[in-house]
Amino acid sequence: MIEKLIYMNGYGLFVWLSFAISFFACALVYYKTYKTLKKYEKAFAKDLHKLSESQRKKVLEKSKVANQVFASYNKSI
Amino acid sequence: MINLISPSKIFKWIERLMNFINSIFFVVLIIGLTFALLISPPDYLQGDSVRIMYVHVPSAWISLASFTCIAILSILTFLLKIKNLNLISKSVAPLGLLFTFLAIVTGSLWGKPTWGTWWAWDARLTSMVVLLMFYVMYILSLKLIKDEDKANQVSALIAIVGLINIPIIKFSVDWWSTLHQPQSINILNGSSSIHSSMLFPLILMLLVLLLYCALIFLMKYKTEIIRIKKKNVKRL
Repeated sequence: MIEKLIYMNGYGLFVWLSFAISFFACALVYYKTYKTLKKYEKAFAKDLHKLSESQRKKVLEKSKVANQVFASYNKSI
Repeated sequence: MINLISPSKIFKWIERLMNFINSIFFVVLIIGLTFALLISPPDYLQGDSVRIMYVHVPSAWISLASFTCIAILSILTFLLKIKNLNLISKSVAPLGLLFTFLAIVTGSLWGKPTWGTWWAWDARLTSMVVLLMFYVMYILSLKLIKDEDKANQVSALIAIVGLINIPIIKFSVDWWSTLHQPQSINILNGSSSIHSSMLFPLILMLLVLLLYCALIFLMKYKTEIIRIKKKNVKRL
């Protein structure tokens, strides 16, 4: 059963290679996208930290995006 | 309507959607792979190499759909001047490039045991390489041109010109005598010559790849929104 699954009547190399390449390419793109998102979230949260207390409060009240990023960053640290 | 697609409105849904996709993705993936590699029968002509089709065909569909989507959004951006559409196009482009690459590579891996060659300068294969080049040009124009407005204009122009290639890819197997077989599924009239035992795994694998696309798209789109907000942090 396992041998049949691996060899697939002589097509195993081509079938497994297709699935493996697809899997690794997708995993690589996922990893890179995730890393970039986290990098930007961190940089944005740091920029918000640098603002004065009153400025930050104003920004967080006005911008939902800033509010969410700031909240999730504070939760993660 | 325009207000509905504003980044601020969408942003709160992105996280929820990402969590939902993450929660179901691995279940759908395992079911899809089980059907594609174990349950579906070998083809009477292609044998087990038909299993490559469960990655190749959805990849090719996604690559064509992504470019069509980018081109339509580019036309709308020119007409309606909605900047948010550019963000959507930018987030879709890397997915299109990835799946065009996968369609070409897996097609080549299928071609070797079936046609006896890794590659042929056949109309369908060549037009797919042209599509890959359009994706590369589109992404490079966004990366290399420093002025953002100019980069958006150039990339939109590339997408609109590249749209000509989409019907060429789609109908190349009908217009020319090619090595590539004619289409087995006609989306326009909903007909299929594929047996249900193979059609079901194909649809399942398409669903897996679409979920993956949605996940990457949402992450990219979220990154783009944050990048813009970060630039104008003091003006928020």
